Amino acid sequence: MGAGMTRFMRRAQETGKELAWEASRAALESCELTLDAVDAVCLTSAPDAFDGVHMKGEYLSDGAGAFGRPFIRTYVGGGSGVFTAIQGWYTVASGMADVVLVVAEEKMSSTQPHPQAAFLTIFDNVLERPLGPNLLWIFALEMNRYMSAYGLDKRDIAAVAVKNKRNAADHPAALLGRSDITVEDVLASETLAWPVQRLDVSPVSDGAVALVLASEEAAERITDRPVWIQGVGWNLDTAYWTNRDLVFPEYVRNAARAAYAMAGVTEPRKQIHIAEPYDPFDYKELHHLEGLMLFDPGTAPEAARDGVLNRDGDLPSCPSGGLLGVGNPIAAAGLMKVAELFWQLRGEAGARQVPGSPERGVAQAWGDLMQVGTVVVLGNEGGPPTTATRLPDSPTPPASTPGHPLTEAEFRGATGAVEDAVDARYAWDAGVAISRFLGGLREGRILGRECRGCERVLVPPRMFCERCFRGTDAWVEVEPTGVVQTFSICHVSWDMKPLETPEIPAVIAIDGSSGGFLHVLGEVDPQEVRVGMAVEAVWKPVAERTGSILDIAYFRPVRGGAP
Amino acid sequence: MEPRVAIVGVGHAGFAPITAGLSYKELMFQAAERAYDDAGVDVRADVDSFVCCSEDFLEGTSIFDEYVPDQLGAVHRPVQTVAGDGLFGIVTGTMLIRSGVANVVVVEAHSKVSDVLTLGSIEHFALDPVWNRPLVPSVLAVAGLDMNAFLERTGLTEEHCALVAAKNRCNALDNPRAAYPADLSGDDVDDSAPLWWPLRELEVAGRADGCVVVVLAAEDRVRDLTEAPVWLLGAGWSSGSPTLESRTWGEADFVRRAAQRAYAMAGIRDPAEEIDLAEVDDTYAYKELQHVEALGLAEPADLGDLVQEGDLEPEGELPVNVSGGALAQGNLFEANGLARVLECVEQLRGEAGERQVEDVQVAVAQSWPGVPSTSAAVVVLGRDEGPS
Amino acid sequence: MIERIARPDEVRRWPGSIPVSHRYTPGVAGQAFLETLRDRGVILGSRCDRCRYTYVPARLFCERCFAELAADVEVGPAGVLRSFAIGFVGVEGEPLESPLTLGLVQLDGADACLLHLVLDHSDEPLEIGRRVEVVVKPAGERTGSILDIEGFRPVEG
Repeated sequence: MGAGMTRFMRRAQETGKELAWEASRAALESCELTLDAVDAVCLTSAPDAFDGVHMKGEYLSDGAGAFGRPFIRTYVGGGSGVFTAIQGWYTVASGMADVVLVVAEEKMSSTQPHPQAAFLTIFDNVLERPLGPNLLWIFALEMNRYMSAYGLDKRDIAAVAVKNKRNAADHPAALLGRSDITVEDVLASETLAWPVQRLDVSPVSDGAVALVLASEEAAERITDRPVWIQGVGWNLDTAYWTNRDLVFPEYVRNAARAAYAMAGVTEPRKQIHIAEPYDPFDYKELHHLEGLMLFDPGTAPEAARDGVLNRDGDLPSCPSGGLLGVGNPIAAAGLMKVAELFWQLRGEAGARQVPGSPERGVAQAWGDLMQVGTVVVLGNEGGPPTTATRLPDSPTPPASTPGHPLTEAEFRGATGAVEDAVDARYAWDAGVAISRFLGGLREGRILGRECRGCERVLVPPRMFCERCFRGTDAWVEVEPTGVVQTFSICHVSWDMKPLETPEIPAVIAIDGSSGGFLHVLGEVDPQEVRVGMAVEAVWKPVAERTGSILDIAYFRPVRGGAP
Repeated sequence: MEPRVAIVGVGHAGFAPITAGLSYKELMFQAAERAYDDAGVDVRADVDSFVCCSEDFLEGTSIFDEYVPDQLGAVHRPVQTVAGDGLFGIVTGTMLIRSGVANVVVVEAHSKVSDVLTLGSIEHFALDPVWNRPLVPSVLAVAGLDMNAFLERTGLTEEHCALVAAKNRCNALDNPRAAYPADLSGDDVDDSAPLWWPLRELEVAGRADGCVVVVLAAEDRVRDLTEAPVWLLGAGWSSGSPTLESRTWGEADFVRRAAQRAYAMAGIRDPAEEIDLAEVDDTYAYKELQHVEALGLAEPADLGDLVQEGDLEPEGELPVNVSGGALAQGNLFEANGLARVLECVEQLRGEAGERQVEDVQVAVAQSWPGVPSTSAAVVVLGRDEGPS
Repeated sequence: MIERIARPDEVRRWPGSIPVSHRYTPGVAGQAFLETLRDRGVILGSRCDRCRYTYVPARLFCERCFAELAADVEVGPAGVLRSFAIGFVGVEGEPLESPLTLGLVQLDGADACLLHLVLDHSDEPLEIGRRVEVVVKPAGERTGSILDIEGFRPVEG
């Protein structure tokens, strides 16, 4: 029915509540509704650690219009923004509400010293956080795996960053629109965690987006130009991300299959006219276009190179400018994609309008540990086709998009700003499986659990098999050797401080198991590391071992091992 | 027409102040195994969607939704996380089924609060950073302010609240899963130390670990799965003002609205007459009375007599928190609402053992996520299918 | 689950924290409120005419109807105590050095209640309904913070 958003800003003066309100009010005004018309509110926002409020859904609720109304906050990591449109859909489709306000908010600038630091706490508390991982690690690891598997050229991937930042130059709410950026600029930008460079990455941002959803009956009263939610799908993969091949986002395909089935889409490449895949990093857009079955695995990069994904290309992708161009206030960025489809399908996107008569689009977000896919298919459903020639009087979002961006100095000097550090301390119970695993490490042994249902040896071990849903059967000692499944060369610490000596995080597939885990490589020249390299654990001296993942100092190439 | 929804399986694990030697994943796996066994479902084949309920800071993990699928059998399935109490998960699962996108849904909530070393600081972090945190030493202050306003408005006394705490601890003497059963009197509670007066030590639920998993099914699937379904007759949820300054003090207006929605869906006109058993939030003893009022089960003027004459006890006119509530089962945080549902299911099935209340046909469960929340969910459960 | 940890010395706990801090802006309306409190020592609210409700502290929007609001109403400095609580414990349950009283005060001209400390009431028991007034720090000591208010003091009448 309606959509609204704030500007995406590096640092907003607004509180999170105020951002949510600005977007919500814009969405209601866009379809000439007032808050009284809203029956229920669906809110999303990613980690509480960003805004810096425990139970932040409660805190934000008044800004989303929840006062006196049914209100639920859901989240699925980075997939949250698109998911909350799904939440709005089932709230209406269940008959529990006729008109629903769907709101996504994120205020990342609150997090100090750098928002990236909060991402340390998305990693496994016992086995991964001690390694000091930066969020960039998992992206770099996935990107390298994707590039190595298909022999991809970084130039083709960089074309996505160029396209999106250029597209965003036409978006009034955008943070990083640049009409003159080139592939060379991207390739020349600072290397953060090879192969990820600064301009491959979307910026941390503050912002909010809101949509108004209505039942068929209510829609008739509100507008003569509804855009329909034709299909929804969402899917979560295992949290044991180091046990998977990161080359293909199976969870996105699963979610897309569900959404397409509901929408009656049987040939996505023909029946989808616009895509807004999730693009926190440039390669992710390509990865997701493949997951959405719009391109065969490994072929999206050439489409980017050949202009197929451009606004005037055969399959316009991220005509909004995406996260790379508009900005990435995590949950809000996902819902921005759904809003963009709404504007595009109504022919209201102004300078961003894709040519032709797009009648169906797909928006997708991704999140967690390379884990969640959320997909929404929107369409005009055979209604009067919008035409490219009929430009609306006022393109949306309007040039007067709300938002009060602050400079770094204004942010530091703002009257009344409050500093606070949460004293959140834990002593996590490692449980049966991880206690035994840590005990093994102390003895210089890597232990796995055997599942006789699927005949796998699970490393890291667990007392349940996620594939069979049954208790695992026995302890197995596996070799302290393995193979580099993928790796990165990282130049920044977990909280974005430059490192003098780069770290080489890698996913090591452990010999004799179906699994593996995250660790770092040592005793090797970064330039010599290859996917598929055989490596062995280098143990700390017995006296220094404490029963920790750090009892393995690092993995090093096996002398005479396969290159 | 949207399908009816029933609970076809429940399972739980933990319910102890500390569940040492179990990770949160293992705790969840135990509860899930029991729930799936109770429902007779093959989770990998029969379940369409999963709803988990958690808050990041209580887990110590950001976007905790990452870590839920494996131990529930939910890998490569639709899984979402609701930030809030498990009863909002039941509401969500109900919507998923009614929308037609799922036929069988698993709802999970847990507490592994024994992992948390600084619970008070984390709860404090829920307060507004600019207006409230610099002033308010503990979230118990918010409960104390609300309790005082509640007593002022209703004319109820500290002694009434103390009797509630004593009742619930005693009720749990018959509840084998309760973490804090005790043979207490109102005087014992009244003699306990004031924390944030008028709130006293024994009026605050002690923390506990635990996990509850509930399996919901659409009516077409219900008869295949169980002979003793518990029907979800009504579901309602609502929020008030999150800001301390502009909220309604001393009254749970959001619970009242949630209840009205749930009753409308269930076709309940006179809740006090039609509801046989209530499991309501009692994180703080006064909250039980405030919630009983908001649920329309008693007038404020009558509440004092009801408490003093034992009408809220298991043998009374209106049994409330026969399980012992959070005061005696332990504060299970996100799992509190599902612990309420668990008790209602056992009572409606006639499986509540020594604490079985006679002839329970319709029960109501209510939850509240704790200070400073002003959100609540209410579900009405029954042995018969109820209105379509 | 087939196997459990049965020996207490085998229970393993792993320490950790959420190692970030935060800087919160007071927002568009909050900044206006705090600047006025700092500069003039007065309390600003926001009036929603449609809802006939005056918020304190000032807000950018009405949570009831979503109208845009301004920091445009001076409220107080006196008002009525609507509730109070006396604290004996701190954030992790540790005893406070001396008890502390927090009060909710509906300032004259406001509908919302301002939350702050109640000062100097040891001579007589406090009661809900009592008249109190805001005590603001001296001009030179105010920085633009809710702590520029010292608290509420009981007054006659």
